[in-house]
Amino acid sequence: MKKNHKGIVLYNEKIAKDTYKIVLKTDMKEAYGGQFISILCENKTLRRPFSIMDFNNGEITVLYKIKGEGTNYIKSLKKDDTVDFIGAMGNTFNYERIKTALLIGAGIGIAPMLFLKKELNKKGIKNFLITGFKEKDEIIEGSDKTVIGGSVVDYIEELNNELKPDIIYSCGPNIVLKLVSEFGIKNNVKTEVSMEKTMACSIGVCRGCVIEYKQNGQTVNKTVCKDGPIFDGDKVIWQI
Amino acid sequence: MANLKTKLGIFELKNPIMTASGTFGYADEFEDFINVSKLGAIVTKAISINPKKGNTGERIFETTAGMINRIGLENVGVKEFIEKKLPVLKEKDINFVMNLAGSAFEDYIEAAKIADKNGIKAIEVNVSCPNVKQGCLEFGTMPGSLSKLTESIRKEYKGFLIIKLTPNVSDIESLALAAQNAGADCISAINTLKGLGVKIEILPDKTFKKSLVQGGLSGRCIKPVALSMVKRIKSVVKIPVIGIGGISNINDVLEFLSVGADCVQIGTENFTHPDVCEKIINDLDKLMNKLNIDNIEELKRKLRE
Ligand SMILES: Cc1cc2nc3c(=O)[nH]c(=O)nc-3n(C[C@H](O)[C@H](O)[C@H](O)COP(=O)(O)OP(=O)(O)OC[C@H]3O[C@@H](n4cnc5c(N)ncnc54)[C@H](O)[C@@H]3O)c2cc1C
Ligand SMILES: Cc1cc2nc3c(=O)[nH]c(=O)nc-3n(C[C@H](O)[C@H](O)[C@H](O)COP(=O)(O)O)c2cc1C
Ligand code: FES
Repeated sequence: MKKNHKGIVLYNEKIAKDTYKIVLKTDMKEAYGGQFISILCENKTLRRPFSIMDFNNGEITVLYKIKGEGTNYIKSLKKDDTVDFIGAMGNTFNYERIKTALLIGAGIGIAPMLFLKKELNKKGIKNFLITGFKEKDEIIEGSDKTVIGGSVVDYIEELNNELKPDIIYSCGPNIVLKLVSEFGIKNNVKTEVSMEKTMACSIGVCRGCVIEYKQNGQTVNKTVCKDGPIFDGDKVIWQI
Repeated sequence: MANLKTKLGIFELKNPIMTASGTFGYADEFEDFINVSKLGAIVTKAISINPKKGNTGERIFETTAGMINRIGLENVGVKEFIEKKLPVLKEKDINFVMNLAGSAFEDYIEAAKIADKNGIKAIEVNVSCPNVKQGCLEFGTMPGSLSKLTESIRKEYKGFLIIKLTPNVSDIESLALAAQNAGADCISAINTLKGLGVKIEILPDKTFKKSLVQGGLSGRCIKPVALSMVKRIKSVVKIPVIGIGGISNINDVLEFLSVGADCVQIGTENFTHPDVCEKIINDLDKLMNKLNIDNIEELKRKLRE
């Protein structure tokens, strides 16, 4: 199945401080929670990867935070403009044999969590999504609990005791993912984290986006774009 | 339909469009984007005698109209290439060139022997690798060592031998000549240019945070350097030359052919537009038909008039 697509902008509006939501009409046939698309940005050599926040009959929703030239270009797109993107790239969250799940999103990391939550709800898997934002005006809706200021990590223990999840999923800055993974190891709960790394090809050929990972007692390189972005938290070798 | 067939000595290509090493993997991933068997040839990711894990830390830095990489030649090693990747390339009838890397003289010779034994039609030797035994000076920066390396590989390898030159030298002509005179069948140029990416952030506590990525510069920004190198190389050698560096469209291809390239390789642009090679092949066909040019030799001649 071909993975290069043209999307038509249906909607592109601000939803919170420095945060935008774009909806694209595409011919993409399928996409699952955890996967991403890589958008071609004007005058940029490298495509910009974004998690898929929702997928509905070819309609893709992405949430993006303004950072630099790439995201400012996306912000400039108007309704009916065309977007060149590749996808759906990467692997997916795994929820086979899961009965209860805790979802943790930090900042814009909420995006893949919302897609995952929708999938879990459809499967009838009990879940709870907690997200954290730095300030009130950055809040993105859709969580079961939203924390402002402080860290979402401070709530894991309490939620874990209440919910007794089979797995904790998380997306956000590396430091959050690392703490979530360490919590999982200590408390014997499986964790899956969505990793980020600067990408060049987004399709697994350049080896530009590798992380170190434990596999069969060895340390191996895994590409975030193709082997990931979703990894078992307890196997990631953290560089921070 | 124009005839795009391109002959580099004994190595024949459907058309003059190849993919550059390290930017196309072993081709399989690109099947989601283009019809890989339409390409003139693909050049594999660098293959070394032993598997290599590559560099740790940030490996990619975007620049204006290009990028810097410090992948560090991460690859599966020659054994796994022969066992797992080679059968796939053969089965799919993909014309390919095996790109060799080494950290010592003997590594290259060993890899060339294996390529020969397995009937690999063409190899491209990446001489931009640091020679660990000689203070990590690149093999391709001194005519003497390049000549010795080429000669030794030539003895062990009967197929089509391409030497891929590094642009990080002052006298590219003498290196091209060294390779030719030591028995190379073809020269490809250029590999990446040495570059440093610097990013400075101002932190909330009013201090600076600096991140550096030292590596190889590639992409559209290097095209003028590459064109100049290809022209200089072609002015001294008789063997075919493959032009590489910053190619992103058919005009770029014409520019390279006009200054002496016999065919081209496309690297970084595959990341920006994964279907660029197929598009260029189609555009080339259309253009030649429009101009009533029958074949690549005629195109080259007209461009060089
Ligand atoms: C798998 C994955 C999923 C992501 N999902 C989202 C999302 O849902 N929403 C969102 O807002 N952001 C997401 N990001 C981050 C997003 O890709 C960057 O914010 C974006 O590329 C910034 O581009 P820019 O040109 O605006 O900023 P720049 O000024 O170019 O860069 C700002 C920072 O963005 C990152 N970045 C830049 N280029 C790339 C690249 N080619 N690949 C990866 N990271 C890069 C770097 O950390 C850089 O320091 C995701 C990243 C990855 C790897
Ligand atoms: C990510 C990346 C990896 C590369 N790996 C190799 C390699 O393994 N061996 C090699 O000979 N050249 C390698 N190169 C160099 C390219 O093959 C090519 O010579 C160079 O990028 C210039 O062409 P371009 O501007 O079209 O990218 C690599 C380039 C990039 C961007
Ligand atoms: S970005 Fe090229 S391998 Fe992941």
